[in-house]
Amino acid sequence: MTIFLVLLLGIVAGILVGLLGIGGGIVLVPAMVHILHMDQHLAQGTSLFILLPPIGLGALRQYWKAGNVDLRAGILCAVGMILGAYIGGKIAVPMSTQLLKGLFGGFLMFSAVLLWMKARPSQPAAASAVAREGSRA
Amino acid sequence: MSRQMFVDAGVLLAGLTGGIASGMFGIGGGVILVPILGLLLGFSQHRAQGTSLVALIPPTGLLAVIAYAKSDYVSWQTGLLLIPGVFLGGIAGGNLAKRIPGARMRRIFASLMFLLGIWQVFSALRG
Repeated sequence: MTIFLVLLLGIVAGILVGLLGIGGGIVLVPAMVHILHMDQHLAQGTSLFILLPPIGLGALRQYWKAGNVDLRAGILCAVGMILGAYIGGKIAVPMSTQLLKGLFGGFLMFSAVLLWMKARPSQPAAASAVAREGSRA
Repeated sequence: MSRQMFVDAGVLLAGLTGGIASGMFGIGGGVILVPILGLLLGFSQHRAQGTSLVALIPPTGLLAVIAYAKSDYVSWQTGLLLIPGVFLGGIAGGNLAKRIPGARMRRIFASLMFLLGIWQVFSALRG
């Protein structure tokens, strides 16, 4: 039964990822904590594991075709992220579950504000190929 | 210092910041990278999103996973069971997104996320 729940949860989380263009972790971590009743640390570690395969490859292809990829900046970002993720992991692992849960809650609220702001319909004049495609559809 | 070097340094710092959030909160980091690239470094929204996707292709969280795994904070079985669903659901969601007004969906979800965040903070303070 639990296996089916977990499989279903993955599909629902995936749909939200594709639908909203947001990362899987921000959906997966709260889902694992509140629905599967996993410990905050365990949910975060498991989420990081899920995110290891290049699940964004299909999406990247769409952006690449529209010329909306800065490869140099992307690679530099990745280099920074490898180091940053190591530092972040070192900070979070020894933290108390209590504190981590609270910080994650604050982070969720912060991300919610960012997500809300992105929803603004105004598209700047520098409309890209993807935007033009979207307005035509 | 040339403008390119300035941008490169900014991008590297953006990656570092996104990475710290990724390791600390078990997330991908795109939610941090896209606004930094867009709002602070002047990338257009689409270019910021496309560039953030490049940064998320390599397994940047590997060192963080190792750090969590050392303390037994990784449920391999749950993770493996979730991967196929997230992958297939992502394709379904991407197709669904073409038919549903995205802006309103985002706002509904952002509100839910905000409430969930408040709940998390309260449960942490109470527990």
